[in-house]
Amino acid sequence: MIIFQEDSVKAMDNKIIHTENVDLYYGNFHALKNINFSIAEKKITAMIGPSGCGKSTLLRVFNRMNDLVEGARVTGEVKIAGQNILAGNTDLLNLRKKVGMVFQRPNPFPLSIFENIVFGLKIHQMYQKNKNKLMEIAEQSLKAVLLWDELKNKLNHLATNLSLEQQQKICIARLLVVKPEILLMDEPCSALDPISTARIEELMQELKKDYTIVIVTHNMQQAARVSDETGYMLLGELVEFGDTQRIFTAPTDRRTEDYITGRLG
Amino acid sequence: MNFRRIKEFFVESAIKISGIASIFIVALIFFFLLKEGVLLFKTEKITHFIFGKNWYPISDPPDFGILPLILGTLLVTLGAALIAVPFGVAAAIYISEVAPGKLKEVLKSGIELLAAIPSVVLGFIGMITIVPWMKIIFKIPTGLTAFSGSIVLAFMAMPTIVSIAEDALHSVPKAYKEGAYALGATKWQTIYRVVLPAASSGVVAAVMLGIGRVVGETMAVMMLTGNSPSMPRGMLYPVRTLTATIAAEMGEAVQGGDHYYALFAIGIILFLITFAINITADLVIHRKRQ
Ligand SMILES: Nc1ncnc2c1ncn2[C@@H]1O[C@H](COP(=O)(O)OP(=O)(O)O)[C@@H](O)[C@H]1O
Ligand SMILES: [Mg+2]
Repeated sequence: MIIFQEDSVKAMDNKIIHTENVDLYYGNFHALKNINFSIAEKKITAMIGPSGCGKSTLLRVFNRMNDLVEGARVTGEVKIAGQNILAGNTDLLNLRKKVGMVFQRPNPFPLSIFENIVFGLKIHQMYQKNKNKLMEIAEQSLKAVLLWDELKNKLNHLATNLSLEQQQKICIARLLVVKPEILLMDEPCSALDPISTARIEELMQELKKDYTIVIVTHNMQQAARVSDETGYMLLGELVEFGDTQRIFTAPTDRRTEDYITGRLG
Repeated sequence: MNFRRIKEFFVESAIKISGIASIFIVALIFFFLLKEGVLLFKTEKITHFIFGKNWYPISDPPDFGILPLILGTLLVTLGAALIAVPFGVAAAIYISEVAPGKLKEVLKSGIELLAAIPSVVLGFIGMITIVPWMKIIFKIPTGLTAFSGSIVLAFMAMPTIVSIAEDALHSVPKAYKEGAYALGATKWQTIYRVVLPAASSGVVAAVMLGIGRVVGETMAVMMLTGNSPSMPRGMLYPVRTLTATIAAEMGEAVQGGDHYYALFAIGIILFLITFAINITADLVIHRKRQ
């Protein structure tokens, strides 16, 4: 708990996600061990750590995607905006509308760009009948991901034929239409070249004004560049969590230091 | 090293030869069909053959109009498709997306078993079940109708449709489904908004191949549709299909006579219909792949 003291000033921030004693098992495998921390609203929080340490698993706790994994079992509490989303009566469809997710490999649907963007509106039965409104929202969300100028004349083209960077932006844009509060990004740039990566990072800084972003990355430089707070995970444990600059300059845990300085992972 | 190269050469040649042979054989069959079939058109106009409403091959003078047979085939096929496509696609969706692991395997084997039943056996079962039921349910003089044929043919098309469509659905990348679930889609929304569109070319191919099978089927339709070569009046009347006509009359047609040539000409028409269906299926698949 010492590690939180230095950041106690930050405790003034609005926290939107709180985890309390979260454990997750895949069958007998203990994948997350007693995770306790809070994520600040409208900030970028990065989770780093070697491959297989449980970063994706933790992210997928926040939108209950682990429910789709047979044999996965979670205990503890995760409060998002005050609600324990691990409670049995949680409305998953609504939760996932509020907490959107971007995946490692861009996965736009094999539909037109337009259909991809308005997908969320259609499944949540919003403005279905109103073609003009759908168009207007599609435009807004494509503008938000800085794609409107490139794609405005190609809305009926297949989204799966776009460049990977464009595909990933489409995947972000299709989340925005349902007005989420939190964006979970699981290594969103790992399939992209450095220039595209830089542009996605730029986009994240834009999005931060309106959304809380939690990004998983195995790229420490990326975490250092984009995030406000960083958590270091190892073997299912959250070893250290705090202000990004401090984590990278003065980690308190020996294991974090080893990782940061490249002696591990 | 050298031995490996020789082995490679033999394997390669063997594959090449069997590939060429199969194309050659198909070409040969078609050529034979064409050669025998065209002889009819020395005495008969093509338009009269295709649009003629009377099939009286052994009257004097004979009349070789196959419109009733074409319509009979289309009617039986359409009926079978209307039954087999919705059920087949629904079954494929169930097996691929809904059924739990063990049940999935059981159902898949069941479908394969259905495919293994010889058509004469299905025809026989249809004769002692569907035909009498048909008579009672619809209060018609005979249960040998287009509809009876359609029902049994639907059972024959179903395994093809289910197994190919299931393959197509199953191979939709998991990432698409995850993307939909992560947006808050329900299972059903994910299936019909993402999985089905993503698998559409495979599903269409499955349907086409299933229908292709129905068009070419002979034995069961011969046993169940009543074989009346007059213009079809509806699903609940006896009809005659192209295939049944060839099968039923080939034995009695005098070799080298007009009747004999006419049956070959029917063969050509049948070939063209199935060919068109397969080409359409191919086009659909390739258009989607781009
Ligand atoms: N569906 C699953 N079933 C069983 N084990 C899993 C599953 N998904 C992940 N794991 C295991 O959980 C651990 C954490 O995985 P993950 O969260 O994907 O790690 P990271 O994203 O940090 O690379 C790994 O050891 C992995 O093998
Ligand atoms: Mg991961």
